[in-house]
Amino acid sequence: MKKMLKRALAVMVVVVLALTMTACGAAKYTANNTEYVIGVSGPLTGPAAVYGVAVKNSAQMAIDEINAAGGLNGVNFKFIALDDQHDATKVAANYASLLEGGMQASLGTVTTAPGLEFSNLSVEDNVFFLTPSASGDDIPKNENGFQMCFADGNQGKVAAEYVKTLGLNSIGVFYKSDDPYSNGIYEQFKENLKGSDISVVETVFTGDASDFSTQISSLKECKFIFMPIYYQPAAIFMTQAKDTIAADAVYYGCDGFDGLAGQLDFSTIPQEISMLSHFDSNATEGAAAEFIKKYTEKYDAETLNQFGASAYDCVYAIYNAMKAAIKAGKEIPVTISASDLSDILKEQFTGEFTYSGVTGSDIKWQDNGYVSKGAIKYVLKEATK
Amino acid sequence: MANMFAKIKWKHFINYIVVAIAMIVFGVMSLTGALSSSTVYLLEKIAIAIILAVSLSVVVGFLGELSLGHAGFMCIGAYLGGKASLLLEPVMGDGFLTLIVSMIVGGAIAALCGAVIGLPALRLKGDYLAIVTLAFGEIVRSIFMNTKKESFGGSLGLETPRYDKDILFIIAFVFVLITLAVLQNLIRSKHGRAITSIRDNEIASKATGINVTKYKLIVFTISSFFAGIAGVLYSFSNYTVQSSKFSYNYSIEILVMVVLGGMGSINGSIIAATLITFLDVKLQTILTGDLAVLQDLFYALVLIILVIYNNAPALKGFRETHNLKVLLDRFRKHSPADRKDDEAKWDRVPTKISMDEVLSVDLQPQTTYTPDKPKKEGK
Amino acid sequence: MEIIETLLNGMSIGSTYAMIALGYTMVYGIAKMLNFAHGDVIMVGGYMLFITMASALSNPIIGLIFAVVVCMILGITIEKIAYKPLRGASPLAVLITAIGVSYLLQSTAQMIFGSAPKMVILLDLGNIEFGGLKVPVYTLITLGCSVVIMLVLSLFVKYTKTGRAMIAVSEDKGAAQLMGINVNGIITITFAIGSALAAFAGFFMLLKSPSLSNTLGAMPGIKAFTAAVIGGIGSIPGAMLGGLLMGVVEAISFKIPVIAPYTDAIEFLILIVILLVRPSGILGRKRREKV
Repeated sequence: MKKMLKRALAVMVVVVLALTMTACGAAKYTANNTEYVIGVSGPLTGPAAVYGVAVKNSAQMAIDEINAAGGLNGVNFKFIALDDQHDATKVAANYASLLEGGMQASLGTVTTAPGLEFSNLSVEDNVFFLTPSASGDDIPKNENGFQMCFADGNQGKVAAEYVKTLGLNSIGVFYKSDDPYSNGIYEQFKENLKGSDISVVETVFTGDASDFSTQISSLKECKFIFMPIYYQPAAIFMTQAKDTIAADAVYYGCDGFDGLAGQLDFSTIPQEISMLSHFDSNATEGAAAEFIKKYTEKYDAETLNQFGASAYDCVYAIYNAMKAAIKAGKEIPVTISASDLSDILKEQFTGEFTYSGVTGSDIKWQDNGYVSKGAIKYVLKEATK
Repeated sequence: MANMFAKIKWKHFINYIVVAIAMIVFGVMSLTGALSSSTVYLLEKIAIAIILAVSLSVVVGFLGELSLGHAGFMCIGAYLGGKASLLLEPVMGDGFLTLIVSMIVGGAIAALCGAVIGLPALRLKGDYLAIVTLAFGEIVRSIFMNTKKESFGGSLGLETPRYDKDILFIIAFVFVLITLAVLQNLIRSKHGRAITSIRDNEIASKATGINVTKYKLIVFTISSFFAGIAGVLYSFSNYTVQSSKFSYNYSIEILVMVVLGGMGSINGSIIAATLITFLDVKLQTILTGDLAVLQDLFYALVLIILVIYNNAPALKGFRETHNLKVLLDRFRKHSPADRKDDEAKWDRVPTKISMDEVLSVDLQPQTTYTPDKPKKEGK
Repeated sequence: MEIIETLLNGMSIGSTYAMIALGYTMVYGIAKMLNFAHGDVIMVGGYMLFITMASALSNPIIGLIFAVVVCMILGITIEKIAYKPLRGASPLAVLITAIGVSYLLQSTAQMIFGSAPKMVILLDLGNIEFGGLKVPVYTLITLGCSVVIMLVLSLFVKYTKTGRAMIAVSEDKGAAQLMGINVNGIITITFAIGSALAAFAGFFMLLKSPSLSNTLGAMPGIKAFTAAVIGGIGSIPGAMLGGLLMGVVEAISFKIPVIAPYTDAIEFLILIVILLVRPSGILGRKRREKV
């Protein structure tokens, strides 16, 4: 009977090997492409899913529009989104799978935590990526990476400059110490606030904590609370703090506040909630309003946020850059390898190329991959008088 | 000469042979460029999972203690091995030497931590040990999570160099072989019997003069060492080491592999680790959205059913008539020549005579009592 | 003033832990098993509240009753299907099954409700002022309720027939059976009580922080078990004490910015230290080991 077990073991291993073999393919993945392929890895499930879904929907919407208008010289685009659950360890498999699916250019990752892994993986094969929302400072550190959103350090800096103009003596900070996004913004914020005589009351939480009574009572004297965190803990904090913190206080967050409207009934919160953003999800005119109209017609309005707007812009920016390159005499066949396309796009993005879209106009990119465009302070909700 | 070969028990080497064949086949494929990068990554993951599962299997399946801190030891190995390779790279280059030194550093420190936490914790029993090791894993994770960016990368994780893709999985498989060699030999030695006796009855083994604390500590330390090695391999196969990966959930994932493979079976752990990792990676890109959780649901159900099937006292009779062995017997030709003589003889001998059985035998004059075959129709 | 405030905040955090720890300690004390799935029963209770609040009834009290009933049925079912067949098997097998049940509940909840967090606003209670101190009302209610539950449980165990049978089962299952106690029945009742407590814990957790996901009970569950162990597992006042202690430690740790990020590590470190110094916990009794 031992023999049989051994045989069973051998058979199982052979089966596994055989299954693995099927995954092996040619080294040149794009050779059979009939469409240009753009890929992204983002959280389609889990607590950060609202961002991944927004990016997936918006990018798909942009692709559909481009295809409906005839694509690029008659060649259509195809978009693939894979789920990484906001987990860096899932990125490598997604990346390989995207590459084998014929991906020629990428939107990188949606969130910061898995972004660094993607950045390092993609430079190996020289795959161009323009991330809509992975805002870590190190994400575009390689020459193939670019950001459509503001880098964390930049957000912290802009927020600090803004705070200095308010003329307050003391402000509060509430951040998540084990989150790279939150940490990244806060470190730069602190750095840029040095030298001014504003005192900072710093409070921290970690993990899935959901009782913030200690932090709230530390912050209760503050009139301005900077919260570089994602919307979910922010919603819990605001619900718990609504009676303890002064009604005329201001909660000020960064792009992580997106999604708050879907979680929180704003009418129950007396304080003002604002955020630093490049997209106004209540816009009534301009490109932003047009985007909102199109998005809400097609998808659930709850997932409308700047991550999506940014992804929409990313797709169009890549499309426009490809168009501009063809105009400049470059050839982009449909089977172009990711690496060749990357060289073309890099040259465009570091050159004279500018883009105007939903999240800003005359957007340019620096050589280090950071974006230069105007930030707006955007009030989600006025203080209740 | 021929006699010598005949004496070798091939069944003890089957797993080495299978792993070695896999290694050679994929190594050749990799050299000829037939392997896609996703397959290479999958192979690395499988090798790491096997090392983790086999090393945990020794603690859970053979020593009989539940550790939920295996991911914590892996975390120590990943961070410290990764850091060592970063520090060594300028001095020794990014070659094999750096890899080996980092392996030793990561493994040794994980082993040291295993000994330090094991010495006091192993005094505790069952559930308490599980919760203390869980706590230890979470402490390790929390400390690495909040380090300074310059030291261990803080919350964004430590950036470690990725080792040459074409070679790393072969090295990983070599380490699988080393792990198997060390742990299998430990289990099959006299120390191994002492270890399994602790699992079966700790107090009785104490009474026979086995130094229980010593053996527990040895097993725990060796197991932590290999978890550390797996961690270092992980840091070489990824660009970033983020401590959020090493939560207790990951320890439980490894535990699932051990339990599904069959407690106390190293080959089982290897098969389960391979299959689960393979499914994980393949299904990740196929099952998207909240459907992906179907996989976890399935594992949970299998876990519960298997544990109940294997352990429930009431199912003892059912187990004896419905198992893999009986199933396989049914499928093969049942000629007695197929069986080895000793197997046929010893297979059916009951190891324990239950008291009920003895008492129910009603000895009559002129009958002889044979304990192997109790009379079925006793008057 | 600040000290009092921190202590109060600690009590606020701790009273939730205490409530969960009471459930753990009941089950552990009597069935002698670590019910890893206890935290996930809390989560199921949370989703029952969510369903009620989203339905036409939309009443938190009805929601609580609904949650208690569902959780009790769930607890008994889990016990009958997953744990009862393993009575008499090794503790390792029981623990692994409990982990399996925990995963089963979490993934089932994700299948049904998705993994995106849901907001559940139960009641808006506001604050109460005590000499310049603003105290949220839910803190007082949670604290009060957990004290009441603790007292009721203690009295129940001491003075009712079922309660005394529970003590007997906890001391010696075999002897209890010989004395005519229905051991299986007692264990079932214990699970029903434990699960009802989990439903209450879910209610108070959502009352405080309205965000609900399929991992709602996972980490608080482990921390509450830690609290129960610190207080002395099997002891009802011990669970209360351990829970409050954990809460106060957490509050103090969050108050000091330097050590705040390490709060989880500190709590677990305390557990390890207590287990090593006094394995039976603060109020626990020493158990002798039998051959």
